[in-house]
Amino acid sequence: MTVSQQKSKQPACKDGVSNYLWNDAPDETKWADCVHCGMCLESCPTYEQTGQEQHSPRGRVYLIKSVAEGKLTVNEEFMDPVFACLDCRACTTACPADVDVGGLIEEARGQVRQAIPLKGWKKSVNKLFLHGIFPHENRLQTLGGLLKFYQKSGMQTLVRKTKLIQIMPKHLVDMEGVMPKIHSSVKKKHRNGSVIKAKQETKREVAMLTGCVMDVMFSDVNESTINVLTRNGNDVHIPQNQTCCGALHVHAGDRDMGRKLAKQNILAFENDDTVIVNAAGCGCMMKEYGELFKEEPEWREKAEALADKVEDISKFLYDTGYEKPKASLNKRITYHDACHLAHGQGVREEPRDLLLNIPGVEMVHMPNADRCCGSAGIYNITNPEMAGAVLASKMENVPDDVEMISMGNPGCMLQMAIGVKNHGRSQKVVHTVQLLDWAYQKESRG
Amino acid sequence: MKKWKLKTKDRHIHGLSQLLNDKQAILYHKEDLISYDCDGFTIHKSLPRAVVFPHSTEEVARIVKYCHDHALPFLARGAGTGLSGGAIPLNNEVIISMVKMKRLIDIDLDNRRAVVEPGYVNLKLTNQIIERGYYYAPDPSSQYCCTIGGNVAENAGGAHCLKYGVTTNHILGLELVLPNGEIVEIGRNGVLDEPGYDLLGLITGSEGTLGIVTKIIVRILKNPEGKQTVLAYFDDIEDGSQAVSDIISAGIVPAALEMMDKTAIEGVEAAAFPVGHPKDIAAVLLIEVDGIAAGIDEQIEQILSVCRHRNVREVRAAKDEKERAAWWANRKTGFGAMGAISPDYLVQDGVIPRSKLPEVLRRINKISEEYDLRIANIFHAGDGNLHPLVLFDARVPGETEKALAAGSACLKVCADVGGTITGEHGVGIEKREEMRFVFTDEEIAAQTDIRSVFNTDNLLNAGKLFPSPSRCAEVKKEIKEKIIG
Repeated sequence: MTVSQQKSKQPACKDGVSNYLWNDAPDETKWADCVHCGMCLESCPTYEQTGQEQHSPRGRVYLIKSVAEGKLTVNEEFMDPVFACLDCRACTTACPADVDVGGLIEEARGQVRQAIPLKGWKKSVNKLFLHGIFPHENRLQTLGGLLKFYQKSGMQTLVRKTKLIQIMPKHLVDMEGVMPKIHSSVKKKHRNGSVIKAKQETKREVAMLTGCVMDVMFSDVNESTINVLTRNGNDVHIPQNQTCCGALHVHAGDRDMGRKLAKQNILAFENDDTVIVNAAGCGCMMKEYGELFKEEPEWREKAEALADKVEDISKFLYDTGYEKPKASLNKRITYHDACHLAHGQGVREEPRDLLLNIPGVEMVHMPNADRCCGSAGIYNITNPEMAGAVLASKMENVPDDVEMISMGNPGCMLQMAIGVKNHGRSQKVVHTVQLLDWAYQKESRG
Repeated sequence: MKKWKLKTKDRHIHGLSQLLNDKQAILYHKEDLISYDCDGFTIHKSLPRAVVFPHSTEEVARIVKYCHDHALPFLARGAGTGLSGGAIPLNNEVIISMVKMKRLIDIDLDNRRAVVEPGYVNLKLTNQIIERGYYYAPDPSSQYCCTIGGNVAENAGGAHCLKYGVTTNHILGLELVLPNGEIVEIGRNGVLDEPGYDLLGLITGSEGTLGIVTKIIVRILKNPEGKQTVLAYFDDIEDGSQAVSDIISAGIVPAALEMMDKTAIEGVEAAAFPVGHPKDIAAVLLIEVDGIAAGIDEQIEQILSVCRHRNVREVRAAKDEKERAAWWANRKTGFGAMGAISPDYLVQDGVIPRSKLPEVLRRINKISEEYDLRIANIFHAGDGNLHPLVLFDARVPGETEKALAAGSACLKVCADVGGTITGEHGVGIEKREEMRFVFTDEEIAAQTDIRSVFNTDNLLNAGKLFPSPSRCAEVKKEIKEKIIG
């Protein structure tokens, strides 16, 4: 019986001493490499905040292993450290033995979610976003439309002025406060499925993931991505049957939904050679689709084939070569490494190189640039206190004298914008590819 | 928000919680405690009664006094990276975690001192002052995350202690909570050497058995003007060992002189920070010299020539800082890297006279064959501090015991050639019985007498550092039989 066929909510089996009762349990080979040296401790934002071993990567791996050894069961106390992890992967970078802590956490969350179904407001939030909105294109578009209406109709001003906003929880107020101006969805705009032609001679054809949050909240980043790609000789194909990548679902332990979305994307991009992604979290997820199909070998093979084709926009431009803009932007910029770009995909130098090649851009070093900002999917909604503390440490490292913070992930963009607002800062939060696009535009305006 | 309350009937958990300013800074659920059942030494495991997180010396003193008054065993823990089991709660101790006391209290560049709390991470100190031209010298490989408090307890060393000495050479003063809860200060601020007994020397390296350090005054050093690292590959490990001796005999005092053997190279190259060491070489040496810039080139030339004289296959200086840093990251993550080639490892920590290096390596090789376990060697060759890493798989019945016996046999060899059983990792649980290789019963009794002066009831970190008296005769016999066969 495959995982997707397993409809009943009964445990699959109990294998020996292990207290993981469901299929797709945490993979022993992942923790076998951990020798408990502790080199990961300081890399972990939640260990930094709590100082508690069970909230460190080493401690979490130990707990996950202890359940498999029958010393612990999957209960509320086990759930806490497993779900308090930001899944930022900084420990993977720090680990001398390359232990895949993130993979273990996601597998463990899958077990927890089956053993202890969500209750209360966390259930509502998860259900609303993960099942109700992200996977459904129409609802996403509707949400986008509503948000646009909210902004344009004067309702936003009204809600803020009448203090109606005070009835919302603090972190939602924060998000409302930094909501970017909503533009039209890129996917919808190109719904006839045609290929957007390169501006001059075509050198390659690439497909693009438009994403869920990205295409509603940051469709201007998607526009910029298309502009930059077509400017550099790429025809851009936007498959219409693509969907949300499923990262948020997998992070939340909803691996069945993750698999469903993964399958849809695997099919959607089957005939493309290169899949460009401008959201670090989505790129990382798609590169790891294979992990979801340990028990479905045919899908695993297809998933791995897709993973090989997925490329972050900054790395793609860096590797294939791009035209250096000639117009000058005259900005002081600092760069924040999205966790799923730096730790998840090893992409660190490429986006910095893009920025440095824009005339007039002065790069200011951000200490601990690859430290998580606390966004972490919907972590900032489900764990607002920890996310706020992590964000506060992040903001301490943002240099005072810069005008912009550049990055490569929509979740980080929202979270950093909240950081700028709540910490009384003034920086504009931008996607790396937007800066390149603006430089090109300035150049064509002459 | 739900009202927080303790969910336990253990009256001492309630008692301890009452002593804390933050009543919630205590762990007592099994799920929260299980990751405290061992430290970097994973062979012995035992659950603590609770873990408390004090934020101040006064809180530590209150907790200690409570434990003392109620006869509860207790111990202090830093980052838990120790390799000899010093922070393992053998007696169901209350663990006093020092990680929340992590402030850098003062930097005094004029007098070259810094004052830190015990939970402050080793490398953070250097990172704080390096741009102003200073650094903190002791650099254990775990310096990315280990705490200075833990370094004091274990008298930690590191790659650069060949030239600069171990932790004890860098401690100028300590604030200490004695096992009865009394707070004392040792060492006068700014005075290098006080009259009377060297109590700082006694406390540093006492492995958490004499008191709990709550504040530390450390020496900081000026950055060396110049620094260069040489890498040398040898086809024969004896040539490599001889080169080590030759470099020191030539009058050079390198800042660091490190060696890795073939198995160790296999590990680091399979792990997260490979640098492309050839797989077929017998040994790699990393030799770093530092000091006044003018003399460095000359020393490098001398080192290159010594290596060539010993049939080196390839020897060269790092071409830039990036390469130098990559070589060191590869070396410093060496222990953890063993995870890439073995599910478990046991690291030993023997010290030998440098001249005995070739002989000892031969004998360790023989131990590896006898026990049928791979042994990787990563060591501070310059000061004769060996780290044989016995690779094993704890899931295979009997293999843990075999690894322990092989490790013990390595230490016996070190003791036999006139060395000792630990250079920097401490005795902890791991090498308690091996203390008998280097001390007589009378010598051990003299040391436990000193412990009794401070730790009268032996509630603080009992069962560490010394062999348990009841078992000593039989264990001694057992070990002898194992080794003699």
